[in-house]
Amino acid sequence: MTDAADTSTVEPTAAAAPAESGAAGPAAAGTATAGTAAALTEPSVTAEHEVVASAAAAAAVEPPPAADPDRHIVFSTRDLNVYYGQFRAVRDVTFDVCQHEITALIGPSGCGKTTVLRCYNRMNDLIEGARVTGDIEYHGLDLYDERVDPVEVRRRIGMVFQKPNPFPKSIYDNVAYGPRVAGQRKGLDEVVENSLTKAALWDEVKDRLGDSALGLSGGQQQRLCIARAIAVDPDVLLMDEPCSALDPIATARIEDLMQEIKREYTIIIVTHNMQQAARVSDMTAFFTAEIHSENDTRTGILVECDRTKTIFSNPSDERTENYVTGRFG
Amino acid sequence: MTEETRKTFHENLDSVRDQIIQLAASATEAGARATQALLDSDLVAAQEIIDADDRLDAASVEIEENCQLLLALQQPMAIDLRRILAAIWITAELERIGDLACNICKGTRRVFGTEFSPRVRGLIAEMSDEALRLTRLGVDAYVDEDEGLAAALNDIDDRLDTLHAAFVQVLLEQRGEGGLDLQPAVQLALVARYYERIGDHAVNIGERVRYLVTGWKQEHAGAAREHERQRRRLSEDPA
Repeated sequence: MTDAADTSTVEPTAAAAPAESGAAGPAAAGTATAGTAAALTEPSVTAEHEVVASAAAAAAVEPPPAADPDRHIVFSTRDLNVYYGQFRAVRDVTFDVCQHEITALIGPSGCGKTTVLRCYNRMNDLIEGARVTGDIEYHGLDLYDERVDPVEVRRRIGMVFQKPNPFPKSIYDNVAYGPRVAGQRKGLDEVVENSLTKAALWDEVKDRLGDSALGLSGGQQQRLCIARAIAVDPDVLLMDEPCSALDPIATARIEDLMQEIKREYTIIIVTHNMQQAARVSDMTAFFTAEIHSENDTRTGILVECDRTKTIFSNPSDERTENYVTGRFG
Repeated sequence: MTEETRKTFHENLDSVRDQIIQLAASATEAGARATQALLDSDLVAAQEIIDADDRLDAASVEIEENCQLLLALQQPMAIDLRRILAAIWITAELERIGDLACNICKGTRRVFGTEFSPRVRGLIAEMSDEALRLTRLGVDAYVDEDEGLAAALNDIDDRLDTLHAAFVQVLLEQRGEGGLDLQPAVQLALVARYYERIGDHAVNIGERVRYLVTGWKQEHAGAAREHERQRRRLSEDPA
């Protein structure tokens, strides 16, 4: 890629050199000096440029996500601690989850991300000895207020688990299960079709709704579980490593589906797959574990929660940088 | 908790950096040899340097292909991603420095037979030293990921710009005194411009290093100003 054109413009003029008067030299020299002097004294920016530049410098700093007035907070988590008996599994977690966003919780094993996820639909209530302190507000209401019915919580805040867990019933009955338990008797066909369509499964199963759900492939079973979760018209979907038991194609379908349904739901996903978090989520919360060497236990802490693009391109905390670049495991 | 989990990938990144150091050494050596050929009016050496540019091209293609593979296969994140992007950009700067060394060699052919005054010889040697020193500083900043040094390159480059201006001034004076024909004067002015360009590429390397370390590019400032102007235009004329 050498520059062959560097001489073409000058060679013809060289022939004219003898014709040029001797006075051209000093005159040209004078111009060159004036040019240099002008370059030194000439203001480098115009007045308009300066005003624009300072406004631009102020605007160029992207405001923190929390300062965005268009984001509506669904879960406000403050100083969350989770104990299993005497053992503190998660310490002082504070961050927000916003509506119609996908928030990914990532971090190494034992960092408490699944424990935190299970707090949002009070699944930890079901574990003996589990105790939650701190505040989780759901649309401004205390999720752990004693007047709050955990069953209603779990209707509004659905969960999809790591391993697809369809009931040993027909495809139809799996999806209709939630609405039936809630007392719905009419319009079930419509609910089933809608839910299966949203879960991108309808076309594959519409001719065999009466078949056993256990006959579906793993990826189809997981989408059925998503259909089952959204059949009760929840507000939030919690997903605990929803793709870890699936092949790459099924994984891609679920990821695509998440983008589709986030317009209607708020999604929190725990994933071990960093690339998946980077691909699907809007916000990423990175957790890590403090190791207590005296009894070899781990307590999860939140390192930072920020826009996914920031976490994976230029995170603030060195621990996040080390984790996303694989410099510690 | 400090166990390295992507050892092979990070070793690959290190070897890209080592390849860039090699390329930089070749490019600066080509620049130094080109200057010597010019001062010695050594057309054989000049041709050798031009021929050897193929090796620089091959090396830069290899680095870029390695970077491309790492992007495709390793899903680099955060600073690793910036390291690869910076490597691609810096490789292009170094390759261009090699091309400019070739241009100096072509200039050597075009001024063949011209006697240089001691002042001209001295300034050529000084511009060459300064341009290659800047390049080496840029590469040092890259290897050490030293943002401070990277940011200073733009100021350090002022000296080369001053030398360039002084050299053009000397050419004009010698033309005025009838001591230099127009053709060699123009060719020497172009050669001086090549050294000045080498310095600019070194400054660019510094900017790439700043991006590598901080994620910030010089062009961000201009882009932010442009966004601000667009915002102003829209608010003045919503239609």
